[in-house]
Amino acid sequence: MSGDGMTASLGMAGTRHRAQDAAARDGLPPVLWLAALAAALWPHWLWMAGRWRDGSDDPLGLAALLAVALSAPRYAAHMTRQVSGLWLTLALAACVAATAALFFAPPLVGALLAALTLAAASRALLPAGQPSLALGGLLLLALPLISSLQFYAGFPLRIATAQLSTWLLQAFGAEAQRSGAAMLVNGRLIIVDAPCSGVQMVWMAYFCACAAALWAQQPNGVFLRRLAGVGAIVLAGNVLRNSVLVLLEAQPAPVAAWLHQGVGLMVLAMVCTAVVSLVGRKSHGLV
Amino acid sequence: MPSPFILPLRPLSRSGRLVLFIAGMVFVTLLTVAWTPARADDSEAPPPESPYFFVDSQDPATDRLPLKSTQVDVHIVGVIADVTVTQHYRNEGRRPLEARYVFPGSTRAAVYAMNVRLGERLLTARIKEKQAARIEYEAAKKEGKTSALLEQQRPNVFQMNVANILPGDDVAVEMHYTELLVPTEARYQFVFPTVVGPRYNSPSRSSPNDTPVASPYLREGQASSAGVDIKVTLDSPIGIKEMRSPSHAIEVTGIDSRKAVATLGGTDKPANNRDFILDYRLAGDRIESGLTLYRGDKENFFLAMVEPPAAVPVQQITPRDYIFVVDISGSMHGYPLETAKVLLEQLIGNLRASDTFNVMLFSGSNRMLSPSSVPATRANINEALRTIKEMGGSGSTEIVPALKRIAALPKPEDVSRSVIVITDGYVSVESEVFQLVRKNLGHSNVFAFGIGSSVNRLLIEGIARAGQGEPFIVTKPEQAAAQAERLRKMIDAPVLTHVQARFEGLDVYDVEPLQQPDLLAGRPVLVFGKWRASGSGLQQGQLVVEGQTANGPYRNAVPVEDSSDPAKSVLRYLWARQRIASLSDQEALDGGSAQKAAITQLGLDYSLLTQYTSFIAVDRIVRNTQAATTPTVDQPSPLPEGVSNAAIGAEVPSTPEPDVGLALLVVIGVGGGFVIARRRKS
Repeated sequence: MSGDGMTASLGMAGTRHRAQDAAARDGLPPVLWLAALAAALWPHWLWMAGRWRDGSDDPLGLAALLAVALSAPRYAAHMTRQVSGLWLTLALAACVAATAALFFAPPLVGALLAALTLAAASRALLPAGQPSLALGGLLLLALPLISSLQFYAGFPLRIATAQLSTWLLQAFGAEAQRSGAAMLVNGRLIIVDAPCSGVQMVWMAYFCACAAALWAQQPNGVFLRRLAGVGAIVLAGNVLRNSVLVLLEAQPAPVAAWLHQGVGLMVLAMVCTAVVSLVGRKSHGLV
Repeated sequence: MPSPFILPLRPLSRSGRLVLFIAGMVFVTLLTVAWTPARADDSEAPPPESPYFFVDSQDPATDRLPLKSTQVDVHIVGVIADVTVTQHYRNEGRRPLEARYVFPGSTRAAVYAMNVRLGERLLTARIKEKQAARIEYEAAKKEGKTSALLEQQRPNVFQMNVANILPGDDVAVEMHYTELLVPTEARYQFVFPTVVGPRYNSPSRSSPNDTPVASPYLREGQASSAGVDIKVTLDSPIGIKEMRSPSHAIEVTGIDSRKAVATLGGTDKPANNRDFILDYRLAGDRIESGLTLYRGDKENFFLAMVEPPAAVPVQQITPRDYIFVVDISGSMHGYPLETAKVLLEQLIGNLRASDTFNVMLFSGSNRMLSPSSVPATRANINEALRTIKEMGGSGSTEIVPALKRIAALPKPEDVSRSVIVITDGYVSVESEVFQLVRKNLGHSNVFAFGIGSSVNRLLIEGIARAGQGEPFIVTKPEQAAAQAERLRKMIDAPVLTHVQARFEGLDVYDVEPLQQPDLLAGRPVLVFGKWRASGSGLQQGQLVVEGQTANGPYRNAVPVEDSSDPAKSVLRYLWARQRIASLSDQEALDGGSAQKAAITQLGLDYSLLTQYTSFIAVDRIVRNTQAATTPTVDQPSPLPEGVSNAAIGAEVPSTPEPDVGLALLVVIGVGGGFVIARRRKS
């Protein structure tokens, strides 16, 4: 670098630092800027509240919002005015798209864009190395997603669960057959219907994954690579839960409701423990 | 790189702040105007085609249960019952509404009048062609006029529509019908069904007459808030010997006199979830037989009822083949199926060793206990009974494929076959079943046993009529033995066969039935018809009934009773009802709507409710100014006594995930445990 160039560069840096100093002196704190952006997207939050209130979706998103709120002070402390222009531009684009979606797209798409706006803005305001991906994940999980997931992903999940359960039961010598999303086990028909698809378990597992990554300050790259493992754990857990319950239902005696609940909760606890252990463990090397 | 988007805000001028404020307000206004939250709108949804469970919206503005009570006043004179059913609809909500209610009627009812009491005013209904009545009702509904429409869905299932019931209104709809009470073995029975059993509507039904029956039901054990009160007054020229109800607790006065009154007794049990059955006998176990004339303005009618001969046991019993067809669908689950098992034990357990038998179990599919009939040996009987005891009720009621399979079974020429169908009859393919029985099971006698507290008597009686057999109703297991014995006697020794009825000295025409069926049970021979007067004096003449009994030829002559009793005017309704039933049977046999014109004309001429004519009453005053937004409320019925929820929704087990609240607690527990463990570790 030539001496003139260095002088020019230093001059530009000096100008930038002066601008930042001015910003530090007169501008909004980053977290307030983020709050203002969130407030601008109020129609989406109103819609989400309506979905929770009218019972059309499980209010699980409130738990994700609570997790975001609990981690907010720590994030606020790390937020800086050294913003990433790329992420901020993405945030602005998502914000414009979210506002436009109010008029042209289904409400869930608009809310999804609104959540992405906040995720991108958070990423822009956070220094590299902070687990912003986990924060974005929690923001997405805060959306009323369960019903839509059930509608679009429920059937493939049911088919996959029924088929894998059939193979598992056959391996243990049971007389099992799959027919669509139903199973014929020891001559009794048992359906793997929508509440059996495992969508709720998927949400719980990814919620655990995001919360664990936040708590463990897991870098984005590490978190992203471990998410694939979370998917495998959920599928295995749901197949195990379904297989045990199918075996119970195939008995002549009716199965008590508490036993149904007990099996489901026990398997869920196993899945969540595995997910938290996987995502929350300290990263050595790449993973 | 610093972003231009977080440059510090400069203080705005006064006009700048005003512009910003106005811009913000415009933005909020635009958003509010454009904001159209999604609402569930089922106004365009197709109507349900199957029974379904009632869901209460918990909206206090709309009264979801507008039918408050039903009052039944029955007056029996001789063998003719005149019944007034009054349904009270009261709107206790804050919005006007239209009420729809599907309710049952007797299979022999001739519904001849309806009127509506709206406060102090009385609206008299007119009979109209069904579509015309529907159009008039819809128009009145839209105009905001209170109106009522009574339609027939089946000969024993009706639908009442009452439009524009305003908040606080008390609308009383009175329906009048008459029916003939035909004694069996000198015992009379009056039946008032109170609930329509939930019908299985087969997706493969093919007859246009078999429209689906769909209405809401309360869940098992849930009582209806619409009570029923029944009062029966019986006037008889002979002393009344006994009056009892096997279905309800009743209080009776006037036994051993010529006038008795029965009313529902006080009991905690709901009265409106099963048929009300009243049995009575007259002194000396006599039945009212004779040839009664009625002189009308334009036409004269007669009714003849001739006492049957006593059944005589025959010396030589022909071996028979018995096929038992047993319904094991969801509606038979529980008490009805247990009753059917007791009945089958009685029927199969008492077969003769020379008989052969087979059993078919059907629901959505069907299976025979053995490929062909087996001898009624003790081992075979025990094996069949063991299999029957193990069966449970579930699934749909595909009765047509089951009967088709029975019809296709080979039968040796020298063997008499009896097909015994055991079902609650909760299907909506009656016409198709009758057609199938008449066309394909002509070589057998078909007997139908209706099992349960609220049997579809139309199907049971229709199968028996089409199959030249007899209907039986078994409401309790303790009746099974007697009914099984009755069937055995009937098959062994028919009361009267090759029955012929002819008139001497009386000019008759339009006689019903055209051909007399064999009498298997001790029921009288019945003849309806019209007659032409000869001169102005009293009519002379007699009816001669001839036939064959086990002892040889039989002949009985009944003289004419010509009196000017105006109460006999109901004979015109009974004749028309009988003629409509015959035409409907013919229509079911032919398929299509070939008899539509004839039945419609009879309905209009005699003011009778039929499948093609309806009663309509419309108020002149426009009372509801918001008719376009008035909701329609379907009055739910209770499930018949003994019928389980499986009749409507068979529960196939599944493997649902745990409760969401508990699951979240588990997740929090796991997270907390993880944090604690990591802190201890570090």
